[in-house]
Amino acid sequence: MSSRGGKQKKGNVTSEQEEEEQPLQAVLVADSFNRRFFPISKDQPRALLPLGNVAMIDYTLEFLTSTGVQETFVFCCWMSNKIKDHLLKSKWCRPTSPNVVHIITSDLYRSLGDVLRDVDAKNLVRNDFILVYGDVVSNIDVSQALQEHRHRRKVDKNISVMTMVFKESSPGHKTRCEEDDVIVAMDSKSKRFSMVTDEFEIRHDLLDCHISICSPQVAELFTDNFDYQTRNDFVRGILVNEEILGNQIHLYVTQDGYGARVSNLQMYDSVSLDMVRRWVYPLTPEANFTDQQGQGCTHSRHNVYRGAEVSLGHGSQMEENVLIGRDTSIGANCHISNSVIGNNCTIGDNVVLDRAHMWNNVHVSSNVEIHQSVVCDGAVVKEAVRLNKQCVLAYNVVIGPNLSLPEGTVVSMHHPEEEEEDDDDEFLSDDQEVGHSKDKTRQKAFNPAEVGPEGKGYIWKASMNDTEDEELAQCLWGLVLNPDPESDSESEASEESQDRTFQLEVLGTLQRGLEENIVCDNLVLEINSLKYAYNITLKEVMQILTRVVLEYPFQQQGTQLTTLQYTGSLLPLLKTWSPVFKNYIKRAQDHLDCLSAVEELFLEQDTHQTAMVKVLMKMYQLEILEEEAILKWFSTGATNDKSRQLRKNQGVMRRMSLWRKESEEDESSEEGECGR
Amino acid sequence: MPGADKETDLTERIEAFLADLKRGGSGTGPLRGSGEMARETTYLLRRITAQARWSSAGDLMEIIRNEGRRMTAAQPSETTVGNMVRRVLKIIREEYARSRGSSEETEQQESLHKLLTAGELSEENFRQHFVHLKANVIEAINELLTELDGTTDNIAMQALEHIHSNEVIMTVGRSRTVEAFLKDAARKRKFHVIVAECAPFCQGHEMATGLSKVGIETTVIADAAIFAVMSRVNKVIIGTQTVLANGGLRAVNGTHSVALAARHHSTPLIICAPMFKLSPQFPNEEDTFHKFVSPHEVLPFTAGEILSKVNVHCPVFDYVPPELITLFISNIGGNAPSYIYRLMSELYHPEDHKL
Repeated sequence: MSSRGGKQKKGNVTSEQEEEEQPLQAVLVADSFNRRFFPISKDQPRALLPLGNVAMIDYTLEFLTSTGVQETFVFCCWMSNKIKDHLLKSKWCRPTSPNVVHIITSDLYRSLGDVLRDVDAKNLVRNDFILVYGDVVSNIDVSQALQEHRHRRKVDKNISVMTMVFKESSPGHKTRCEEDDVIVAMDSKSKRFSMVTDEFEIRHDLLDCHISICSPQVAELFTDNFDYQTRNDFVRGILVNEEILGNQIHLYVTQDGYGARVSNLQMYDSVSLDMVRRWVYPLTPEANFTDQQGQGCTHSRHNVYRGAEVSLGHGSQMEENVLIGRDTSIGANCHISNSVIGNNCTIGDNVVLDRAHMWNNVHVSSNVEIHQSVVCDGAVVKEAVRLNKQCVLAYNVVIGPNLSLPEGTVVSMHHPEEEEEDDDDEFLSDDQEVGHSKDKTRQKAFNPAEVGPEGKGYIWKASMNDTEDEELAQCLWGLVLNPDPESDSESEASEESQDRTFQLEVLGTLQRGLEENIVCDNLVLEINSLKYAYNITLKEVMQILTRVVLEYPFQQQGTQLTTLQYTGSLLPLLKTWSPVFKNYIKRAQDHLDCLSAVEELFLEQDTHQTAMVKVLMKMYQLEILEEEAILKWFSTGATNDKSRQLRKNQGVMRRMSLWRKESEEDESSEEGECGR
Repeated sequence: MPGADKETDLTERIEAFLADLKRGGSGTGPLRGSGEMARETTYLLRRITAQARWSSAGDLMEIIRNEGRRMTAAQPSETTVGNMVRRVLKIIREEYARSRGSSEETEQQESLHKLLTAGELSEENFRQHFVHLKANVIEAINELLTELDGTTDNIAMQALEHIHSNEVIMTVGRSRTVEAFLKDAARKRKFHVIVAECAPFCQGHEMATGLSKVGIETTVIADAAIFAVMSRVNKVIIGTQTVLANGGLRAVNGTHSVALAARHHSTPLIICAPMFKLSPQFPNEEDTFHKFVSPHEVLPFTAGEILSKVNVHCPVFDYVPPELITLFISNIGGNAPSYIYRLMSELYHPEDHKL
């Protein structure tokens, strides 16, 4: 021991003298600032929810301690007293703990940003620190990342402010949370988190461990930018201002180790299973790293863990990946697989548990089936109840008998309305006082159809507000796994609305140009700037422009125009704005695009189809469109019945052929004139 | 108050050691060799002897037994720690007996008479206070430390008796002791070593590089090829993690197949194991026998989707029954597996087998 200590000291003195004097610090945020775990986290803060019968915050602290953190600041907000009590009782607050834990509580924290601003205000960190949430489970050795971070800071004069730890894991991995899916662009050489550099790689095989190594500047930056709420805000801010402020964010990608944040119940389910399957070794259930009396358990084949005094009935099978807490008794002929069962539970006969997560003091009667569900402390499941996938029974709920809960049911002792009532200040935090409304709850009767004849509890309604954010926050199990087409259409819709506003802007510009007689060059300039503002492609600009111009008479004089009136007012306009068109229509493809826009418009305005020929002719005469393009469009462009009809329209055809002859004559005469 | 200071310092050190043990061996088995582990444990025990408060041998034994229990519980697969605790307990017994003037030798003999009279003079025997006991115990622990320092050399010294010219030797994985043993033999003899790579950790690769650096002709083979290659092998020399009380082994995965292949071809199987690896544990104690580490090495986490559909296990140890073993080479000489029980009673006091 002593020899090792000596060696360590020596190594540090030679390499990093100044760092050696200051202990490694960490900021642990023991609040999620969202309500993903509601209604469970209404009674217990998320950091204290048991994962493998150990509170999640203990995993985080163990992770920090094993990486050599000597001072940890735990920030709590929601139910800070419970967290404080837990920590004071744990081994982290023993005087011999190598990691000194300071607990800082305040009801005013509303986001990660608030916490870091407080870190800055109180001047807590003096050096690089590790920033984690209280629900991160990891065994990654970040000392390598830390070294790289320090090295970069030394070399680059404090340019790099943050190093984020990512774990390699290919898409589709179950521990990759669908919502947390990240696509990262990084500079391949320097591992810099970047928007665009000369040489960069885009990776979609990374899992965000939510572990970041921050320099003290990070806290200052949060203070300077009081609108930063989350780490994502911060990262975005840094990237956008990279050139101005010169701050950079780097990545550390690791293949070894395990790191994941329990951000919703789906993650809870998979992280819990990963832990039982020993991915987080050495943080395994039988290691009893929290050093609590009586928490020890034994590990046998097929990853079956048994605590002290576990009794198993005749014919019961623990198939695989099962963790059973102490003093739990299981009846006869049960089948248990992939489950975690807490302390002091009783389970009846003929029970089937698959991916069940039961916490402490749960009573399950006979003939019960539970699939991929969470059963919280003190819940009672009566005879012949079936919990289908993704059910949640919150604290002290009673269910049954003879009931089958449909998929995704959440039952809680809190009435959903009670939530709505005191929900006026809508902050995305767990911070709510619930105590006063308890009496009200009692008075409302339980619905036997929902929770069974002897049941106690209310169905928790998933969404109460219309905003999408809120819906997301209420969704305990996280997003559905299949890629939903809805989001696609949504993004399209938003794009469409953007196009719409762009169109209006262009219209406004042209109108003003006409009224104030602005030179066409300036109009082009203005449209270009609009193009950048709305992030619209050149093709769309041209199509929208065409559309706006052709619709202009309708805009000005109403839609009741006759074809004659329409062409009469449009043709001079085309002449005025022809330089604008010429600016955008250059390549052959542009011509075709423009034509298709024209076609589209006249398909909509079918009463004015005859005007189309005139418009095309005018555009040809103004040298906006080339003949070749028009002919090509005419011969090949028919994509659907309507447009074919448009073209086959007798009048149009006749006029078209007429016009074509005319144009040929024109051409020959032009040729004669200009010598082309 | 300096005394209290010392005490907190001591508990801090113990806690740090415990935490180290718990975290120890992420992945490739023990990060440090058992030799180093044994030394560290002994250093810590010496510190406890020197700094803890005790007035009689009984107190000290109680303290050490308590700490020993915690240390072994922290990492049950690391038997060296428990072994060193037992050695130190035995030292205290001996020193106490010497201070009293009686010889420990007679007491240690297991006899029917002793069994009948046992119990009456066990613990309270150690209540007597002796001034020099502390110094003597520390002196004896220091001797133990020098013994530990010399183990690898002592084993390596015997290499020439076992390895002859132009022999083909097979080994599996990486063992520091075996490496030293082979290197020592290579100074005088020319021979060929075949190393089974020992997947999934593939410590065999490391071993092979180490051996080839000193000019030993080395071949690395896959574990699957062990049986096929065995017919050409003259001797199998392997290391082990623990020597069990029945003369069996708890060794790195793949050792059992090597041992069976060697038996099939009647190739001698020689184990290089220092005495501190000798444990009073029997192979039937199931809970602590195995060690399963993160399955990362078997199927990497990056494999993605498949991981939710399969169970992946990564056990670290194999049990090798004593009847497959030809010879143990320890720092005090060569012994047959059937003689292990005898060594056991020499090293540890029977009352300390269970801490």
